[in-house]
Amino acid sequence: MIMTRRELLMVAGSALLAVNMPVLASGQPQVLIGMQGTARGERVWFDPLGLAVKPGTALKFVNRDNGNSHTVTAYHPSLFGHVRRIPEKAEPFNSGYLLPDDSFELTLTVPGVYDYYCLPHEHAGMVGRIVVGNPGDEGWDDSAIRAGGLDDNVETAFPSVNDILTSGKTRAPGLT
Amino acid sequence: MLKALSITACLLGASVAFAHDESKLETMPPASPYVQVSDVLPLPAFLPGLGTLFVDPATLPAGPFLGYDHDGKLSATIYMTPLEELKNGVAYDDLAVGKHHVESVDIYYNAGHPGVEKPHAHVVLHHDASAKARLAK
Repeated sequence: MIMTRRELLMVAGSALLAVNMPVLASGQPQVLIGMQGTARGERVWFDPLGLAVKPGTALKFVNRDNGNSHTVTAYHPSLFGHVRRIPEKAEPFNSGYLLPDDSFELTLTVPGVYDYYCLPHEHAGMVGRIVVGNPGDEGWDDSAIRAGGLDDNVETAFPSVNDILTSGKTRAPGLT
Repeated sequence: MLKALSITACLLGASVAFAHDESKLETMPPASPYVQVSDVLPLPAFLPGLGTLFVDPATLPAGPFLGYDHDGKLSATIYMTPLEELKNGVAYDDLAVGKHHVESVDIYYNAGHPGVEKPHAHVVLHHDASAKARLAK
């Protein structure tokens, strides 16, 4: 079997994710996304910021910020009037407020780009992007990257789809 | 002479305006109109660095927020001032204090949280020498 460079990098990225991927009772891997912040709340972020997964992957968001509450909220007109930045055929999602150690589980099946944000921290640029599947997959919808409708500081916070697909995941600036 | 009298009168007026029976706020919970922040907003009951917060909703967003330690002792008075509002010329003047003695003041940036979503400054007045340590976590 000959792998393309992109496929090879995807495998490497998946291997990196494995350290952050517990296994559900069903045997299905679950990918964790942390909701984090500094002790005084100067910075807040999703970790990872950008993530590539296969369709149907179980995701679990965990609030690891002891001094704040966070949400996982899709950019969608049905949620606070935002422009749609998830695939048109996907269901919008909103965790509601999560207190420290609370979690929210989500499974995305429609291939494409999903942009989401934290309701009380969108102004601070606390957003995330999940890429489900790959360009060329049946039903692929990356309209999120052309949707606009956000303040510049928020729009520029999203990692590029190419970077996410290349590395498997990206982290907020300043994190290694 | 007239100027000095005017200044004295202003200072006296100010002291009357700010004076309050601080013993009423000394222990948690303070009486109405104060409400516990975590009862009305989705936030942890005890916020590291700030304590258990109470606020009069009419004073939002600036406060004062009263910060109590784990034993229910008033330890800090906190103000939250949105940076955008300050930049637009909004001033937060004559804010009340929970306790007249202030040992130290911390001022720092906060990216936002339920209740004060926009980036803002936290101004934290610690009311005794060990207050900061008691509120730390």
